[in-house]
Amino acid sequence: MILPSVLLVGLAASAVAKERPRGVGPEFAKFYKDEPFTCISHPSIQLPPSSVNDDYCDCPDGSDEPGTAACAHLSPNTALSAGDRPGSEDWEVTLALPGFYCKNKGHRPAYVPFQRVNDGICDYGLCCDGSDEWARVGGVQCEDRCKEIGKEWRRDEEKRAKSMNVALKRKGEMLDAAGRQRVEIEENIRRLGDEIRGLEVKVVGMEGELEELEKRERGKVVAGKKGGKVNVLAGVARGRVEELRGALLEVRKGRDEARSRVRELEEILATFKVEYNPNFNDEGVKRAVRSWEEYAARGVSVDNEARDRDLDEIAKPDDDSSGVNWELWENESDACDADAVAQLAAYLPPSLVSFIEDKVVAVRSFLEDNGVLAKKDGTASETKAVTEARDALNAARKSVDDMKSQMQGHKDDLETDYGQDSIFRALKGVCIQKDAGEYTYEHCFLDQTRQIPKKGGSTARMGSFVRIGSVTVDELNESGEIVPEERVAIEYAKGQTCWNGPARSTTVVLQCGEENEILKIAEDEKCVYSMLVTTPAVCSGENPPPNKDEL
Amino acid sequence: MAGRRPLSTCWTLFLSLVILLGCFIIPGVSVKHENFKKCSQSGFCKRNRAYADDVSAKGASWSSPYELDSSSIQFKDGQLQGTILKSISAEEKVKLPLVVSFLESGVARVVIDEEKRINGDIELRHNSRARKERYNESEKWVIVGGLELSKSATVESETEAGVTKVLYGPENAYQAVIRHAPFDVEFKRDGQTHVQLNNKGYLNMEHWRPKVDAPEGDDEQKPEQEDEGTWWEETFGGNTDSKPRGPESVGLDITFPGYNHVFGIPEHADSMSLRETRGGSGNHDEPYRLYNADVFEYELNSPMTLYGAIPLMQAHRAGSTVGVFWLNAAETWIDIVKTTSTANPLSLGVGSKMDTQSHWFSEAGQIDLFVFLGPTPQEISKKYGELTGYTQLPQHFAIAYHQCRWNYITDEDVKDVDRNFDKYQIPYDVIWLDLEYLDDRKYFVWDPLTFPNPIGMEEQLDDTERKLVVLIDPHIKNKEKYAISEELQSKNLATLNKDGEIYEGWCWPGSSHWVDCFNPEARKWWKSLFKYEKFKGTLSNVFIWNDMNEPSVFNGPETTMPKDNLHHGNWEHRDIHNVNGITLVNATYDGLLERKKGELRRPFILTRSYYAGAQRMSAMWTGDNQATWEHLAMSLPMVLNNGISGFPFAGADVGGFFHNPSKDLLTRWYQTGIWYPFFRAHAHIDTRRREPYLISEPHRSIIAQAIRLRYQLLPAWYTAFHEASVNGTPIVRPQFYAHPSDEAGFAIDDQLYLGSTGILTKPVVSEGTTTAEIYIADDEKYYDYFDYTVYQGGGKRHTVPAPLEKVPILMQGGHVIPRKDRPRRSSGLMKWDPYTLVVVLDKNSEADGTLYVDDGETFDYERGAYIHRRFHYQDSALSSEDIGTQGPKTADYQKAMANVRVERVVVVDPPKEWQEKTIVTVIEDGAKIASTASIEYYDQQGGKAPYAVVKNPNVSIGKNWRIEF
Repeated sequence: MILPSVLLVGLAASAVAKERPRGVGPEFAKFYKDEPFTCISHPSIQLPPSSVNDDYCDCPDGSDEPGTAACAHLSPNTALSAGDRPGSEDWEVTLALPGFYCKNKGHRPAYVPFQRVNDGICDYGLCCDGSDEWARVGGVQCEDRCKEIGKEWRRDEEKRAKSMNVALKRKGEMLDAAGRQRVEIEENIRRLGDEIRGLEVKVVGMEGELEELEKRERGKVVAGKKGGKVNVLAGVARGRVEELRGALLEVRKGRDEARSRVRELEEILATFKVEYNPNFNDEGVKRAVRSWEEYAARGVSVDNEARDRDLDEIAKPDDDSSGVNWELWENESDACDADAVAQLAAYLPPSLVSFIEDKVVAVRSFLEDNGVLAKKDGTASETKAVTEARDALNAARKSVDDMKSQMQGHKDDLETDYGQDSIFRALKGVCIQKDAGEYTYEHCFLDQTRQIPKKGGSTARMGSFVRIGSVTVDELNESGEIVPEERVAIEYAKGQTCWNGPARSTTVVLQCGEENEILKIAEDEKCVYSMLVTTPAVCSGENPPPNKDEL
Repeated sequence: MAGRRPLSTCWTLFLSLVILLGCFIIPGVSVKHENFKKCSQSGFCKRNRAYADDVSAKGASWSSPYELDSSSIQFKDGQLQGTILKSISAEEKVKLPLVVSFLESGVARVVIDEEKRINGDIELRHNSRARKERYNESEKWVIVGGLELSKSATVESETEAGVTKVLYGPENAYQAVIRHAPFDVEFKRDGQTHVQLNNKGYLNMEHWRPKVDAPEGDDEQKPEQEDEGTWWEETFGGNTDSKPRGPESVGLDITFPGYNHVFGIPEHADSMSLRETRGGSGNHDEPYRLYNADVFEYELNSPMTLYGAIPLMQAHRAGSTVGVFWLNAAETWIDIVKTTSTANPLSLGVGSKMDTQSHWFSEAGQIDLFVFLGPTPQEISKKYGELTGYTQLPQHFAIAYHQCRWNYITDEDVKDVDRNFDKYQIPYDVIWLDLEYLDDRKYFVWDPLTFPNPIGMEEQLDDTERKLVVLIDPHIKNKEKYAISEELQSKNLATLNKDGEIYEGWCWPGSSHWVDCFNPEARKWWKSLFKYEKFKGTLSNVFIWNDMNEPSVFNGPETTMPKDNLHHGNWEHRDIHNVNGITLVNATYDGLLERKKGELRRPFILTRSYYAGAQRMSAMWTGDNQATWEHLAMSLPMVLNNGISGFPFAGADVGGFFHNPSKDLLTRWYQTGIWYPFFRAHAHIDTRRREPYLISEPHRSIIAQAIRLRYQLLPAWYTAFHEASVNGTPIVRPQFYAHPSDEAGFAIDDQLYLGSTGILTKPVVSEGTTTAEIYIADDEKYYDYFDYTVYQGGGKRHTVPAPLEKVPILMQGGHVIPRKDRPRRSSGLMKWDPYTLVVVLDKNSEADGTLYVDDGETFDYERGAYIHRRFHYQDSALSSEDIGTQGPKTADYQKAMANVRVERVVVVDPPKEWQEKTIVTVIEDGAKIASTASIEYYDQQGGKAPYAVVKNPNVSIGKNWRIEF
């Protein structure tokens, strides 16, 4: 804290010699002591003292007008013409002063951008003493409000400092939690390793047992009810047919459901075609309508009554009047062993044979491939003992696999970037929400972002966690200049695909705060969102600095 | 599509490539031609074209069946009346009353009607309740003055038989030569014919006839019979028009002998100089069409109809401009053919002259034609304005920068955008809300979820004198418990269908009804809706955007209303279609005038649909354009053409409405948009956000510079608006308007002059271009706006550097340009800032300029509360003189403005002797002694003119003063 005292001394000295011109901050006072005045960045330009604050821009750096807006046009945002550019054409034009200095006695001094000086608006946000409107243009009078504003600010500052303390404390707790979680995971990995090793030994033993059992069982297969091969085959076939019939019923049910869903969708689309707005520039909608029209024009009917009747017939349980009379077969003597299979087929209605073979199998495998039906091993009959042994073995193998993948998960987790000191490990899965307009928005740290409509309708995932990164945001410095600032940001991508647009994605930009809280949501472009979220996790001791004097 | 973040898989990459290619292909080709009629699909268009073809084919052997009954002619008080007889068979003649009015202004008006229909002596089909007369009330909506009949017009007694000559106009130097049989009219000025009516014989008044059902079996058309195929019901795109009055179109050929260029008849996305429409290389095949319609993704270089219609055409040749105004609100088409008549057939080119023939036809109504004989473009503007009204002097904010997007989605979003403009120090005045601010698309009702606190939002805007514009359209959601809808229905204020039931169609809110502003009760009601207590959530800084008022009806024929719909007074929609849009604007204007007792403010309304007269109440924009360089380029002829057609408060969506502009395109569009009288950025809901502060450097600063340049020149813009509001001159002017004798410049429509300031600019509208080839007509020196580089040499193009960061602008010698150089957050905050005067000397070391200033808000200017100055530089002295007239409020206003001064005078290209000068003498009215101000002379190298700057002459802008150099 040496600097301010030096500044103070300097200030005192200059105050004796000469009062600072309007709008000059103490750090620039020294430039206004001497006569004639020289432009700060262009010492070759000397001006009479009357040129300072005469509301006319003489210096290419604007330093002769610290208290007016006369040089406000010296900015990269203005294309200057020769006549309004002070000095020679090839001189660089950059303002030497950060703005109009408001003393704000009773509060903190601050700089107001020159373009706001004497524009008829009291900019109390920056200039609580109202000194920026000294010329009272249009009769505006800005009273000094520093007392109240300052008081309020100090109160806020105190709150801020307290809040920062809390935030830092919470951050500490998070770091602790993150550390603990890491240790836990490492512990888990160790434990899992041990368990896996143990279980693997057990699996080897079980494999041996099963093999032994199977050996014993083999050869017993033919010892059926009547003992004949045909009878056995008939039994097997019967089981198989029953099974296929069951599958057929299941498939038909699935088909009926799908059919009614298709009907529902077609109705939705037909209404959509009637009601959509052809003037709305939505390529997606237009494409959808066109495709629907083509689809509708094809006129594919999903109903086929004849086929349905066939299926009804097939689906009836077998007895002596319909399907196969299994009793007959199971009690048949073994006389015509050789062509039993062919004869079996002869007893089946042809439609059953072809249909079962061609369709059901195909449909079933299709459904299995798509996870609609569970896969079944089409094994023949086994003894209970073998089945049990095999099941036990499979279960054991599965738990080994599960544990291995669990362990891999833990290992991956350890490799994952959880930010500095892995702090976000502590926030993983923590969800926060915010109401904004028609939606409630949700952010689950390192998991996903969601948009939940208030008026009803389905929730849209706005992205799944990708990585912790950073973004650059434009911040204003004290003199109102844009300065880029790096912020921690969490990226979420591959959310639900937008109607006629990309898959939703969200960038969550973090800033220091006491609570985990969503401040703001914006849709920067179609289905690309950004969220501004506060969290103690990104607080650092310095930014913003806690006001130690007041604590 | 550029700039999208990296995509993760090949598949999405491929997909986006497909979309990307799609984007390149879509623009320009996607207008739905099948939704809009070609001439051959419009019965009366087809008939009138066929009539013209038939007449032309028959040549001399044919004679027009229209004859003015000599015995019927009466002339009294500047008005000639008579009856035209149309022979429809050997014995049968149809009576067509003719009135030719010769107006005090020198304009002539020709009205032809049909007696049978006037008397209601006809039968309507389908038990229609429609009116029987030809529509005769367009005047009510369009004409506001200038109809006083000439006291001096006389019939010349000494004429050949069968001809009536009327002398009229200034000094009776105009003549209307009316031939009786066949009927035709020639308008002469100083003995020369400039406008001819029915010279080609295309006059066609489709008289009323009953429908005679052909006898059974008699299918064969007899050759001499007319083709009845399009007389009765007409079907297009699945909609059938019942046409209860049968064929009733009117048509007329209007020839401009010796004129090579015709301009006007907006709105079309086409060159300013109109093309021929009867085919051939570079010509159109279809006539120019005027039938206000919501044309989705409209195409360029097309005579297709668009959102608005002004049936004013002017013909121009070196030294003469004449014009015609076809006052008819029904669907109208105009064919244009240019013919060369050679004085000496052996020497083509030499002595050959071009005639322009136009052929106008409307589906219904009267022939009601105004003929203007110029002789200058300014005279056309002035006289046309006398009739239809001048441009409203807008509130000052309205000529600054408007930030729009479909949509700012919440009140917080709006406040955020507002803060960001300040953060990046880019000025703007108005932020806009499109459709989505509404609750369920119910006009006058805010969405309670997304805009819970509109007043808070408006107050934040008001802190920096900014404004809000919200969308209010004429279609009212058909829904129970929606008060506006219930009132509309219960009070019977909506447009009806042909059966007299409330008309129901589809628009943004789904099923909707349309307020019928032809109904005085409906207007009264509509007006009341804008009161602050009625339209909750609005403050005095809220203004209105009337969109979709063609009207746009998503499921209607040609995206608009059925023609047999009925409006107040049982006029068919067919009769009034093109004025429909402005009836809504009219009612909205009245609503905004006084939203609270005693708070009288100039309304601001943006309209998409318009007709002649809209300029009195509103601004327009060119509708839903696209983010392509071609659309950027087309915006200039469209804005210029609107300007010379009496509706100069015009602009195009900066950035392009559909699709995403590249950064270069967006930047160039801003550099162009600052020259639109109406300067607004807008974007479709599916586009990326593109507020200027979001664009990365260097583009952001370049765009900011362009916007600030507009703000710097606002004093000149406001002065140009004032000029337009008193004499109808365009705010931005095409080459021919500024140099009416320079033939080479007539067709130029990509460069413009700002008002009378001598500022000439040619915005860059093509990709990768870094120079502008600016055409200079005269021998004056022109100076680069920024560095005073000199360009001189008339009748040729000069290459002016225009890298991306530079707007190519020249200043013509001989002008004083008023500016305000201090950037502020909004134009409202520039009110008290000092002026800079740029004095650009001409060949004779003289310069001239004007400045108009008022409070930019109220109507106090009508009572003298304004400053109107003329700055004149001559004999080494710059003086400011008052050219206003005193009123009861003048003194107070002058007093309030006493401290607003001139901070700087820049003299471009002063004499070399000034090098020695250090001071100038300043004499201000009322000052006891003259004072001095310092002056500095700057020499420049490399073809740049020297300049001198007077520092702080300290003279008040509202006072008389003199600066002696």
